[in-house]
Amino acid sequence: MKKPLLGSFEPPAAGNKHMLGALQHIHLPMRRFKELEEVDYVIVGVGSAGGVLLQRLARAGFNVVGLEAGPFWDTERDWVSDEAGSHDLYWEDPRVTGGTDPLAFGSNNCGKGVGGGSVHWAAFTPRLHPSDFEIYTRDGVGTDWPITYEEIRPYYEQLELEMPVAGPAYYPWGHPHGYPYGPHPMGGVGNALIRGCSALDIPVCIGGPVAILSGSHGDRPHCIYRGFCIQGCKVGAKASTLITHVPDALHSGAEIRDNSMAARVSLGKDGRVNGVHYFDKDGREHFQRAKSVILCGYAIETPRLLLNSACPGFELGLANSSDTVGRYLMAQAGTVVLGRFDQLVRMYKAPPAHALTEEFYETDPKNDFARGFAIQTVGPLPAAFGKQMVSAKKAWGWGLRREMMDYNHWASFGLLGEILPWPENRVTLADEKDRFGLPIAHVSFNLHENDKRLIKAATQKTIEVMHAAGATEVVHEARYAHLVGAARMGSDPRTSVVDKFGRSHDIANLFICDGSIMPTQGSANPGLTIQALAARTADYLISQARTIFTGSKRDMTTPPIRRELAPPDTWGKGVPRFTHLLSAGR
Amino acid sequence: MTTKNRETSETPNQQGDAADTSLVPRDPLTGDAILPRTQPGYYAGFTTLSQQSFWDAATRKVIDKRVNHQPPIRFFNPTEASFWTTVFDHLIPQTDRTPDHRIAILPTLDERLYHDRTNGYRYEDMPHDREAYHLAFDAINQEARSEYRADFISLPYLQQDLVLKTLHDGEPKAAPEIWKQMSVHRFWLLLIGDAIDIYYAHPWAWDEIGFGGPAYPRAYIRLERGEPEPWEAEEQRYDWVAPDHAVSGEIEATHEFYLESVQHRSHRRKHERLP
Repeated sequence: MKKPLLGSFEPPAAGNKHMLGALQHIHLPMRRFKELEEVDYVIVGVGSAGGVLLQRLARAGFNVVGLEAGPFWDTERDWVSDEAGSHDLYWEDPRVTGGTDPLAFGSNNCGKGVGGGSVHWAAFTPRLHPSDFEIYTRDGVGTDWPITYEEIRPYYEQLELEMPVAGPAYYPWGHPHGYPYGPHPMGGVGNALIRGCSALDIPVCIGGPVAILSGSHGDRPHCIYRGFCIQGCKVGAKASTLITHVPDALHSGAEIRDNSMAARVSLGKDGRVNGVHYFDKDGREHFQRAKSVILCGYAIETPRLLLNSACPGFELGLANSSDTVGRYLMAQAGTVVLGRFDQLVRMYKAPPAHALTEEFYETDPKNDFARGFAIQTVGPLPAAFGKQMVSAKKAWGWGLRREMMDYNHWASFGLLGEILPWPENRVTLADEKDRFGLPIAHVSFNLHENDKRLIKAATQKTIEVMHAAGATEVVHEARYAHLVGAARMGSDPRTSVVDKFGRSHDIANLFICDGSIMPTQGSANPGLTIQALAARTADYLISQARTIFTGSKRDMTTPPIRRELAPPDTWGKGVPRFTHLLSAGR
Repeated sequence: MTTKNRETSETPNQQGDAADTSLVPRDPLTGDAILPRTQPGYYAGFTTLSQQSFWDAATRKVIDKRVNHQPPIRFFNPTEASFWTTVFDHLIPQTDRTPDHRIAILPTLDERLYHDRTNGYRYEDMPHDREAYHLAFDAINQEARSEYRADFISLPYLQQDLVLKTLHDGEPKAAPEIWKQMSVHRFWLLLIGDAIDIYYAHPWAWDEIGFGGPAYPRAYIRLERGEPEPWEAEEQRYDWVAPDHAVSGEIEATHEFYLESVQHRSHRRKHERLP
């Protein structure tokens, strides 16, 4: 074995003192509320949205408790640089999946533990495009959002600073903008995407946008390119709300009750919710009283909780007078295109989220489908790659062993394609129960003609790019990525679950804020949008002060953005903006 | 390193018998059998385990447990255990490895099923994972008996390979009443997915494919052009072909399938392709 450059490293001292970063442990005294104490807000799920809401509301002075079904991570002790050893990060409680095109869950899209899915996302953070907010008006498909791009734009800019996001100084698609941290150096897969796109004259963006530090930030070190992003970033370079917002939330007086599985939202005789029943780690049931409840459980658990909270007056499920809870669930087409190169690639190095093109994002009249797709880098680790070889080449036995021996010769791109919202793509309750006796989720998912055409065209285009990059063999694995919808926002209470601020149409002090409120999804990874929506909902709740706790009046005035509520040191830094280009288009 | 890795099979037709050259890979030019090695693959001398002192303690602990502390068999009975061990000898054949450097698959699967751990979802056309393995034990034996008039485990290697290929192809002939209860291709993906998850989680498999493994807190520093870290190895390729008595060496690309729901199924179901 050769020595490292400049001679051998000193092995780490006993007790593993050789570690990076100061934020490996969060040693903050945490406030503890009593269950009988009526807090201002109970937040169910401390993930991408819940983490941001918890931080904002606590900093604004509210009494707030976050219930999280999974554990509070001690990252140095609990996380490993290992594909097979990271299952605890994923929501692996039982679910049933079906329909003509069943979705995979678990590691593919569902997180458990403080930080939720943001702990194991790849951290690609493109924004939605302005067109995404009005696809019904533009293309006659899906539905329009009750807000425009301009309403969410300040929150995109703000969260890109809070994470912060590394990427190019000029990002040309959608509403052009730039990023606060510089792009990452390229690894082998990113280089392949640049080569392929350049050969075909397709604009390509390199080194981001990705919420991974390219330079140290506060007490967080920058990326060390070890490639285990989706197994949890032990380095602390990748943004998760566990390290970006939760520390400040605790510092500001929020409580996080981990290993607490919400069972039912409780409705009082006055038609308002008054708290949440939940189970602790040992299966004991508790009830936390609250003046208002915010559900941040993501696209499966939020509708499941509402359906499991059915009660007199809401027989179909809480806040479900529209029969929309659970419906319009969306995943994005996430087909992985793999190319074999004569030269070595070693795709396990560097973040999987590394380079992308959104050149095919918008509706193109030349296509036989509406909307579009992005092409991004992905970098599967060995077991994930092996299963891709099973799908793409029907490999097994000796054939599989042979393909795997060529692991270092392969690069992989993932397409990210917009699948439209359909009412029968939905979450319902199965007969089966989980270990707490709660009915588990059944998910049904079917592709429609527009979806299928889009997936086929996107796959073919991505294959073309891979060939142009110089791959001698190109195959693909069809799959899905991300989840949104299932409790969508809208102006019409008959066809949506919450209003544009996340307040349920049916119950004045019940809010939903996570991926499930998105009416459509575009071809952008949803993480940034989810956090931006959370910060916006927080500003609304704060601007309404205590009226939410007693009144039912619905003030639909958009509040001003409160940058001063961001975690310290994350706002006021320069970020290039290109506002004059928005109206001109590209 | 201790290597109590595999109950080498008792029957002579199993892959423990390295002397049977019809069961080991061959050099395509000379036709000679390639003798089993401690480390097959193109990265001779590369060992991720030699870098352990540069890994963080939590990762070291997980890998040490995996390599040196095999879980006991508690879910499968002895007959099932030896049956599935034989099946995995086909899904991930290891006759190119010396017996003391083979990677055991069954104990880790047994531990998963014993604790009833899943990936977080079950397809509606599939029973629970535990039940799926019980059903498939019967179905595969029925296939073996109907085609070759013997239980799966007592067949020669090639016929065992052919029995399993019917599952791979999605077209088993026997046991229709069992396959009515679960999807053939979903079971195949479950089975081979388990095999991949376990085999390619072992550091010896990382060495075989040239995967650098854990790199925290040390970092990777050579990102471009697929170059090795100073402690990684250069690739040294050699040609090999699958053993004569194996049918799993061939690959068929699924180019024309664009949807997950049809990509895994039999290539003969052309009507399910997109226009």
